[in-house]
Formats: sequence, C-alpha cells, structure tokens
Amino acid sequence: MIELRSVSKQYPAEGGGFTALRHVDLRVGQGAFVAVVGKSGSGKSTLLNLVAGIDRPSAGEVVVGATPVHALDEGRLAAWRGRNVGVVFQSFQLLPTLTVLENVVLPMDLCATFPPREARQRALSLLERVGIAEQAGKLPAALSGGQQQRAAIARALANDPPVVVADEPTGNLDSRTADDVLALLAATAGGNRTVLMVTHERDVAGLVDRVITLADGRVVGDATGGRGRREVAHG
Amino acid sequence: MASPRWTKLLRDARAERGRLALMIAAIAVSLTGVGAVLGGYAVLTREIAVNYLGTRPAAATLELPGGADRALAEQVRQRPGVADAEPREVLVARAQVGGEWRKLLLFVVDDFAGVRLNRFRPERGAWPPPDGTMLVERSALGMLATELGGRVEVKTPHGPLQAVTVSGVVHDPSLAPAWQERCGYGYVSRATLAALGEPPVLGELRVAFAGEPRDVREVEARAAEVASWLGARGHPVTEFQVPPPGQHPHQRQMVTILVMMLAFATMALHLSAVLVASAMTALLARQVREIAVLKTLGASTWQVARLYAAFVGLAGAAAVALAIPAGLLGARGLSASIAHLLNFDLTSQAVPAWVFLVQAATGVGVPLLVSAIPIGLAARRTVRATLDDHGATTGALPAALAWLPLPLRNALRRPARLALSLGLLAAGGAMSVSAIQVERGWEANVAKVYATRSYDVEVVLNAPATMDLAARVAQAGGVRGAELWGYAPAAFSRPGAIDVVRTYPDRGHGSLFAMGIPPETGLVHFPLLAGRWLRAEDRGTGALVLNHGAAQLSGKRVGDEVTVSIGGRPSTWHVVGVVEEIGAAGVVYAADSAFGAAAGTPGQGRLLRVRTSAASPAGRADAIRAIEAALGGAGASVQSVLPLAELRTAMGDHVLVLVRMLEALAGILGLVGLLGLVSAMSVSVVERTRELAVMKTLGATPARLARLLLAEALAIAGLAYVAGCALSVPLTLLVDRIVGNLGFLAPLPLVLSPGAAGAWLAIGAAGTVLATVIPARRAAGLSIREALGRT
Repeated sequence: MIELRSVSKQYPAEGGGFTALRHVDLRVGQGAFVAVVGKSGSGKSTLLNLVAGIDRPSAGEVVVGATPVHALDEGRLAAWRGRNVGVVFQSFQLLPTLTVLENVVLPMDLCATFPPREARQRALSLLERVGIAEQAGKLPAALSGGQQQRAAIARALANDPPVVVADEPTGNLDSRTADDVLALLAATAGGNRTVLMVTHERDVAGLVDRVITLADGRVVGDATGGRGRREVAHG
Repeated sequence: MASPRWTKLLRDARAERGRLALMIAAIAVSLTGVGAVLGGYAVLTREIAVNYLGTRPAAATLELPGGADRALAEQVRQRPGVADAEPREVLVARAQVGGEWRKLLLFVVDDFAGVRLNRFRPERGAWPPPDGTMLVERSALGMLATELGGRVEVKTPHGPLQAVTVSGVVHDPSLAPAWQERCGYGYVSRATLAALGEPPVLGELRVAFAGEPRDVREVEARAAEVASWLGARGHPVTEFQVPPPGQHPHQRQMVTILVMMLAFATMALHLSAVLVASAMTALLARQVREIAVLKTLGASTWQVARLYAAFVGLAGAAAVALAIPAGLLGARGLSASIAHLLNFDLTSQAVPAWVFLVQAATGVGVPLLVSAIPIGLAARRTVRATLDDHGATTGALPAALAWLPLPLRNALRRPARLALSLGLLAAGGAMSVSAIQVERGWEANVAKVYATRSYDVEVVLNAPATMDLAARVAQAGGVRGAELWGYAPAAFSRPGAIDVVRTYPDRGHGSLFAMGIPPETGLVHFPLLAGRWLRAEDRGTGALVLNHGAAQLSGKRVGDEVTVSIGGRPSTWHVVGVVEEIGAAGVVYAADSAFGAAAGTPGQGRLLRVRTSAASPAGRADAIRAIEAALGGAGASVQSVLPLAELRTAMGDHVLVLVRMLEALAGILGLVGLLGLVSAMSVSVVERTRELAVMKTLGATPARLARLLLAEALAIAGLAYVAGCALSVPLTLLVDRIVGNLGFLAPLPLVLSPGAAGAWLAIGAAGTVLATVIPARRAAGLSIREALGRT
C-alpha cells in the first residue's frame, strides 16, 4: 500500500520557490494499477519520484508498505528502492554497454537478491514474459523502442518489487507499441504488486483501476478506471 | 556469467578507450620517471657502497713533512682505534700532451702488492708497475692521450721532462673522472718517483679508524690523537685532511640532484593523477544518467564509487604494467650515466623489488586518491540531482563577467574544471620553462668564469718567485699582461690545533687556498656579496676577502676575525668582504704585501695570471709555450698551467648532463599538462553536446562550432600560459638555488628565457589545437538528432 500524507514539494528557483505538490493526501491499495494524469507541470512526475524515493517531500510523509520512505537516508533509500521499487523511464534508460539480459540481471546483482545463476534464469524468464527473450544477447541499441521498453519493464520486475513506477512509459513509442506496453504494465499489476504510472495518454482509463488527476500540484480528480470497474463488476 | 557491474566496467573501458589511453599514458609517463629515478637512486646507493667504500677510503690523511714509511705505518696501526694506516704521497706534476701541458696527479705507492687504503683495481697491463713505468687511471687515458703501452711525457717539479711508459691501466672509484677534473691520474712506485727527479719521500700517512666513524668531528678527534702521538715521537704533523667521511667527492651533488629529479617526477605523477581525476570527471559527466539509473536500480553510493574507482584502478594497473619495464630501462640508463660521472663500475644493475612496489602502489594509489574527490561527489549525488544534470549551466557565470568574450565566458562556466585545466597546463608549462631557464642559468654561471676574469691562463709555480717574473712573462710573445700573486694552500686554523682541511686525496675537492694580490688588479672583478673588495691601504692591514666557497667553509662573515694557516703559518685576519667566485675552490684574498708577510714570502709570488692576445685555442697554446719558455729562462719551475677554457669545460662537464635529464622530466610534465587540456576540452564538449546541437538548429555551421571550441581552448591555454610563465619565475629561482649550490656553492643567476617561453607558447598552441580539433570535430559533426538524444 502507498500512502501520501499532506505531502508538499517545493523546488528552489530564481525569484522564490516553485511548488510542485501542495498538501497531497493519497492512498493506493495493494495490487492496483493507477494512472496519474495531468498537464505538464502539474506535479505528476514529482509525485512518482516521491513514491520511488527518488525525491524527498518538503513536508508530509510518504509511506510505502510499512516503510516511511521520507525518513530514510540516501544509503538506506538505495537499498530499499532496489528491492521494493521497479522504475520504468520514458526513455528506457537501459545501460548501453550491457546486453539486454545483463541489464535485467543488474538489479539482482546490485541488491544481491538472487544468486548469479538463478538471477540469469530469472532474467531470461522475465524477458520471455515480456516477449523479447530472443533479444537477450543484444545490446539495447540493436532493439526497437518498444523492445527496449519491454526490457526496461523486465528490469523493473527483476527484484520482484511490490511497487512499480512508470514515468511516461509510452511517451517515446508509437501508438501500437504503446498499447502493447500498457497492456504489459496492466498485466504486471495485481496481487502484491502495485503499478503507479504517469501518463499523457488520454485513453488509459479503460486499462487502469484508478485515474488520479493532478493540477497545479493538487489532486483534482480521483476516478475509478475501467479495470477497476470490471473488477468490481466481476467481484 | 560475470557480474553485470564488472561487465559494464570492462565494456565502458572499451567504449572509453581514448580517455582510458590518455589516463594510462599520463600515469605511465610520469610513473616511468618515478621508477627511473627511484631505481637509479637504489642502484647508485648500493653501488656507492660497493665502489667507493670498497676502496677503503682513508678517513684522514696526515701530512708528515719528515715522511712516513712502512714501519711507522705499522706502529700507527697498533694504536687503539686505528683500523689501518698506509704511507702515501701525492705529487702534482705535469704531462705534455700534444704540445700542451696538463696537470698530472702522481699517486706514489710504497707497496702495490699491499695497498691497504684508497685501493684501486688493476684492469689491464702490469701489476705492480715495473719501476720507471706508471699505471694510469682509466678515465685519464683520454686526458693524457695515451693507451696501455704508450708513453707520457712527465715533468715533476724538480725533475726533467721524461717519457714514462704506461705499463697498466687501473680503475680508482675514489676519484672523480679525470675528464671532469681536466687532469691526469698516474700511479708510480717510490723508485719511479726518484727516477722522475723527486726525493722518494712519502709525505702522507693515510689512516682508517675502527668502526668507520661517519661523524667528521669524531674523525678529526681521532686523527688529532694520532697526530699528537706521532708528534711526540718526532714525526710532526703539519696538517690533516678529513674529507666528508664515507662520501665520494661528488656524492652529495648526485644525491641532491637525484632527490630533485625525484621531486620533479613525483610532481609529474601528481599532475597525472589530477589529469586522471579530470578525465574521470569527463567520464562521470558522460555517464551521469547511467549513475542515476544504477542508483534507481538500488546501487548504493559505495557500489557506484567502487565501480568507477575500479576504472581508475584499471588505468593505474595498466600504467604500472607499462611503467615498470620502462622505468627499469630508465633506472639502468640513469644509473649508468651517473656511474660514469662518478667513475664507478656498476657491479649490478638489479633494481630492488621495493622500487617496483612503490611504483605499483603510487601508480594505482595516487590516481585513486585524487580521483576519490570527483568519484565521491558523483556517487553521493542523489538520484534526483543526477537525473536533473544536463551539463554546464549558464547560471554559474556571474552577470558581472558578461562583458568577457564568449570563449572566456564558456571557459568560466565550470570554474573548478577551469582551475584544474589551468593548474595542469600552467604547472606543466612552468616546469618546462623552468628547466630550460635553469640550464640557461647554468650556462650564464659558466660564462661568469670569463666575465669576472680578464686573464685566460693561470700558471702555478712550484716555488715562490720574485715579482719581476711577471714583467719577464709579459714580454713573451702573445702575452698582453701578467701579474704574479702570492699563493699557498691554506686552512682555517684553530689556536693550538693542527690545521684541518676537507680536501680529498685528489687535492682538489674541498681545498682552500690563500692568495696575495695587488688590490688594484684588473685581472679579476668578482661580484661583491657583502662588504668591500681590497684597497691599496689594505697592504698594511689584516684585511681579508673571502670568496663564497671560503665563506661557506669557514662560516665567517664581514666583520669577523679569522685565523688562517697560510702555508702552515697561522695569522689572524679581519674579514672585509665576501665575493662570488664561480669556478674556484675556497679562496681567501689578502693584499700582496700583507700576504707575503703572513706566508713568509715577502716580495714573492707563486701564481701567475696572464692575459694573452690569443683568439683561438691554437693561439693560446702558442702563448703558453712562450710563457713556459720565459719562465724556463727565468729558472722558474712550473707546477701547473690551466687555460681558463679548461676550467670552463670542467665546470660544464660536472653535472650538466643531469640538468639535461631534468629537462627530460620537465618535458614529461609539459606533456602531462597538454594531456590535461585534451581531457578538459573533451569534457567540455561532451557536456555541451546538446547546447551545440541547439546552436546548429539556429544555423551554426560545424566549422563555426569547431572554431568556437578552439577559441575556448586557446583562451584557457592563453591564461595557463601567462600563469605558467609567472609561476616559472619562483620555480626557476628555487631550482637555481638547489642546482647552483650543488655545482658552484652559490645560486645560479636567474635567467628568464624568452626562447623557452616562446617554445612553450608554440608547443602549447599547437598542442591546444590538436587537443581540441578531435572532440570539436566529433561534436560539430554529430547530427542534430544524435546530439539532442545525448545527455
């Protein structure tokens, strides 16, 4: 479960600070697939960064699972993030000198979550799951954008984190590939894993459990998505 | 499967091979210098013990005018605390070589089969030398223009000119090479000495003490005990010579030069380490996003730092692998060169393991230590800060600097990096320019030999002659003027104690002489360091002027009283001045008549200084022959003739080769500085790839962008050039002081060399263009899409 309690975030800027988030309260249940939408500058990415422990709130508390993320120092934050959060970037951010397989093994290596042999098997299995197992031995530059993002999702899942955050994961993809990636993320969510996704896509509501709308650093909308409604209906 | 982290390291190394090669080259070059100097030092320190100490140098030489023999030596050997004793004699003779005279030191040995002290080793020919023949020290063969089996025309003070056969060649590591001292070294028996027309008296007793004391005071005290014992038994000692114990005549100079070279090499290593840090900054700037990703994936600060530290370690290890064999070659070359200067044979050129360990530890450790700063800073940055890093910002430039030209403004955007680049380049330039300026200073000092002397030939007579001799010599062909000065070996004496001098057995190093001169002489004009020069009225006073060597030996200053033993006769003087005299041992100057009274040679002189009209060495040789003829006609016996040119050669040969080695090290420093600029410019370009792409979208052509970057690099190089030239002045002063004190007992004059500065400007500018062209062309050649896609 993710909980933000009266979270504000200010950035220093010339001529006074810039407030990205203002007293945001938010609870996201375990296993949900949540889309965060809003205009540019509305605070979406800031919110995501706070959840992932990439950034710290100026005020308020960020609790993920039972961990008060806002209170962790950088060292503990890195260790916590490695095991508990998978991050998917808009521009994939695969390490260019590592093969796709090695990119996926890397988080397990850094966090020592699996022995090397098991890590490799797991990485192959994840690549198979995202549909690019045959690309495992290639360098990222040899892959298409969609394939790279799939590899990035496999990497995000490497340590089996309870939370996956994705910042505009389809921003660099054509619409058909974007649909595939969104479907993959949707398939990732559920059970113990929560997926929080920032997106500009207008028609994601049908794919997610919940759509949170931000404007000027405030939550101005919180709606149940199509997936959520389906689950309610099925439930 | 290897850990992806380390796979990344290796692939990054491959991807960054240019930068890695730069780092490896910089470390390897300076580490080679460190290895060469340290290795050379280690070999020479060991070999000094094997060579010089292996000769069993006498701790003290006691002058016994009544002579010494084997029986007396045996008695002295029985004295408590005396390890050994041997009678010897050293005679200053002359050899006629190709129509010119050269000084010839004849070492008279009583028993060649039983040489105990100051031993020398037969290399070729006879041992012992048959009577009537002589052995020649191997470094003196060239000076005497002879070979084994050849003949040398020898003239002793009292004997006729005779041809003496060279029956053998020996090696005497206790002597400085003959070509440096510009004299010959011969070894003869007493019988040969007699055959050469000299009384076969051994006037020296050389003594070694038990425990080989290294403290000069202790040696003096023990020598005084022996002298006292000898005096009580009817063998009065007039003087004893105690050179620095256990030290080769040139050892202190060599060690100090080596230490200075080591200091330069260490500076080069540190500059290289800074360059590595700069290159790492470049790499980190390029990989800022990757660091962010690693941290996002859970990498700790330590894991990130270790990864990049391993990169530096890899560069260091590769550099060590290159530098160890190169340093070994350098050490062998350096030790062989210095051994040649010390007249040593290297019994082994094996470099001890600790040298390699130091090379390995410093080669890896120093760059790691210096790189720890940028690596630590990059690794500790938060993910957010790292993700937000888009390279150089314009915000850092204070508005007040907006008037600066664009290249300078660009350079100032990263003040820390600018300082680093400037520091590297300025330090490299300063050291390179300094090395050349030191060499110029050395040359200027050697030139002072002529500038401060208006004579060109110096003749020492075997015995004082009356002053009218000068007038007779002045009449000789090719002679424009001559003065006869009082001249005698001297010592700073203590009341009631035997005179002690620091002279080595070669009678040159550490010696002190007294001269009586006409105060109004125009033959010398030494620069005053303190007080005044002699005046006419000093003829009736005890006024004394010390040259800087004598001032150092005595520790006396203007206004002090000093007791000087002149030819064994003590007299007290008042120091009125100190002069700088380049190219001489310690000399004290008194007015002629005051000197004559003190030395017991009134109205006489022993040192003839002659001004010839010769314009060439051949002309001077003719003039010298005419002088010799005039002296012969007057019945004056000549001990030595020294053309000033010989003195100049001797000085030039002493350590100039080491100054050249210093230049080589300075070249390394300059190279490291240039490599630093390459690295800095490459970082600057990488960081601004996006900005350059934006400029391209606004219409800037690749050529224009390349010009902009080149202008920026030239602006940095220009600033570094000015700073380097300014820095070279104090650095030159420092090295001038060290080298000058070694070579001349006085600092070298500061010579600012526009040529050196100009050469560095040309090399720096050419290097800057080369350093910038590659990254600039690469960046300017990227398509806008490629460039915008980069961080």
